[in-house]
Amino acid sequence: MSAAAFGRPLDVDSALHRRDPAVKLALVLVISAVVTGVFDPWTPTILYLLAAPAVVLAGRIPLGTMARAHLPFALFGLSLFTVNALTRQGQVVWTLGPLDVTAPGLEIGISLAVRTLLIGTLSLGFVLTTDGARLMTSLHQHVRLSGAFAYAVLAGYRLLEQLPQQWQTIRQAQAMRRPRSPQARSRPAARPIALPRSPRALTRASFTLLVTTLRRGERMSIALETRGLGAGRRTIHDPARLSPGDAVLTVVALATVTAVLLVTWRFGLLAGWGALGVFG
Amino acid sequence: MSARAGGPRRDTPSPAGPSQDAPGPDPAAPRRAPITLHDLVLLAALAVVFGFLYWALVQLWGWLQVAMGPFGDLAQNALAGGWMVVAPLAVYIVRKPGVGIVVEIIAAIVEVVFLASPVGPMLLLVGLIQGVGAELPFALTRYRRYGWGVFLASGISAALFNLVLGMVRFGWAGQDFFALRVGLQFASGILLCGLLAKLIGDALLRTGVLDNYAIGRAQRSAARRGR
Repeated sequence: MSAAAFGRPLDVDSALHRRDPAVKLALVLVISAVVTGVFDPWTPTILYLLAAPAVVLAGRIPLGTMARAHLPFALFGLSLFTVNALTRQGQVVWTLGPLDVTAPGLEIGISLAVRTLLIGTLSLGFVLTTDGARLMTSLHQHVRLSGAFAYAVLAGYRLLEQLPQQWQTIRQAQAMRRPRSPQARSRPAARPIALPRSPRALTRASFTLLVTTLRRGERMSIALETRGLGAGRRTIHDPARLSPGDAVLTVVALATVTAVLLVTWRFGLLAGWGALGVFG
Repeated sequence: MSARAGGPRRDTPSPAGPSQDAPGPDPAAPRRAPITLHDLVLLAALAVVFGFLYWALVQLWGWLQVAMGPFGDLAQNALAGGWMVVAPLAVYIVRKPGVGIVVEIIAAIVEVVFLASPVGPMLLLVGLIQGVGAELPFALTRYRRYGWGVFLASGISAALFNLVLGMVRFGWAGQDFFALRVGLQFASGILLCGLLAKLIGDALLRTGVLDNYAIGRAQRSAARRGR
């Protein structure tokens, strides 16, 4: 993901793009919370197989974008799978040196890994179709989020957009001040300098980034205050309206999750925290 | 900027602030003051910088975690404190109830909505719980004491809350290395969350960038009393 894409939706129009941001956020939160209580491999797998095509089609997300964005989730999932497969008690399926792969370990590992992919897919569907600024307007209207809070987050967003460039500037400026070897000095001035990668250099750059960003944030808050923000009731420019489509999305998403839970429960596949064998 | 450091408070009351006591003229009064817009933007700036640094770290982290096999997931506990350091730091600077929670939630919003964190929107809940954990010891001193001991307690409390959360989310208690996880978690909470927050806060204070916040006012009034 390029730095310019922070908080911006994909530049297409789709059924998911048109939905209200607060409704989408609430759905992702509710579904994530529900699957957090599930520890069998089947329920998250079925939900993932339903959610992935639905998000790609309804959000008109290119498959390449979806696959690339899956990478961090896949790594996180793989790590969760490994640790659970190797470190849980139970029937040993297979021995790897000093470590035992156990059957409950495999099941819980698969469950947590697929859960990561499922939650990741839902988050991508949300992030790739939602404008950050519209989300704050929608939350301000529908969840009564305070205006000061909403605008503070948006100010933070503005700071965030400039951070990668700031970071680069600070790193380059600090690298220029380092004593250089004679060979490096004889190089043509137009050549870009190598940025130091030592933890010390990174810490120095991080602290400078923190100080300059706090300073710019304070300037921003003074600008907001001089425009009267936080001084009373506000009217809203371009309000976010709920549409029948939002109701349809909510009903379809929640009904699907309920149906999948009912099916896996009926077939005796559903497992909750009891599967961990630690809460009685 | 620091020219108006000694001037009157320019904080405006937040319209949604639950405690609408008139902000007293005493610049060092830490209690009952609502979180102002001025404070909120500072919290957002803190959340954004830490969110960005975490995000950059996570990009490097993913591969390493897989390469380390079962210990990659344990290393997450060793770093856990670093994810929470922004909460005690924010309380140290702003010194008002709820600040640690608010900053963690803004950081979570930034990571989820703008940076598409691999953890997903559950991070909002994680941020809330970690914020409560880190802020609790400061609340017990009624936001009056900021010695090393309180930061130590804050690190321990944040680690404890995070540990319970991990037991619920990932079933840590049923794994072989649970004791090691607990140890790493507390060491990390104390060093990377509690004590690091005070170090960063003191360093920032010396740069003068915090002159217009509670921490800067407290320092000036302490200096006046000392004179």
